[in-house]
Amino acid sequence: MRKEDSVKLISAEGFEFVIHKEAAMVSQIISNMLTSPGSFAETEHREVTFPEISTTILEKICQYFYWSLQYANGKETEFPIEPELTLELIMAANYLDT
Amino acid sequence: MYIRVKRNKTTYFIQCDPTEKTLEIKQKLNGLIDQPVNDQRLILVGTGEVLEDSKSLAEQKVENDAVVALTFRKDDNEFEDVNIVRPNDFYQPRDADGANW
Repeated sequence: MRKEDSVKLISAEGFEFVIHKEAAMVSQIISNMLTSPGSFAETEHREVTFPEISTTILEKICQYFYWSLQYANGKETEFPIEPELTLELIMAANYLDT
Repeated sequence: MYIRVKRNKTTYFIQCDPTEKTLEIKQKLNGLIDQPVNDQRLILVGTGEVLEDSKSLAEQKVENDAVVALTFRKDDNEFEDVNIVRPNDFYQPRDADGANW
């Protein structure tokens, strides 16, 4: 994987998740940030910080991105969500337009 | 499938195939971090097993969503210990940080 094809997502606690650009594009808001011409510093550095999303939730979201890509490619598996994460995950998904 | 390669506070999501060899994963990592493949060591976190370059992921029971630790070779030629930082709170209620209201 080349650096140019990756995106770094940073959680509230400063943990970093390096994922494939294609996976990040599952989120409408990240996709907008990365593709809109010149208006976001994120476009240039391919780095997005989410001060309101905790590490556990952000990791779950990244897992969802990859699951979503596989699902779109016809691999129909279930996406497991721990009940105690549900509320925070819904809020994050809503924010990310995912 | 994908695997989660972790070191310190960073997680790399790497897309891969069960038939790919460990060396190919290291080459993918090399594209992201400027660390030569010979200076990387991958360890399957579940079993603590060091992954061998010439073996495939399937052979070493590395499955989809598996967590693999990454360590680098240090100056003294030894590999560093596995170090994966976890967030200390598994679940933090929104109102725990009351000051933000």
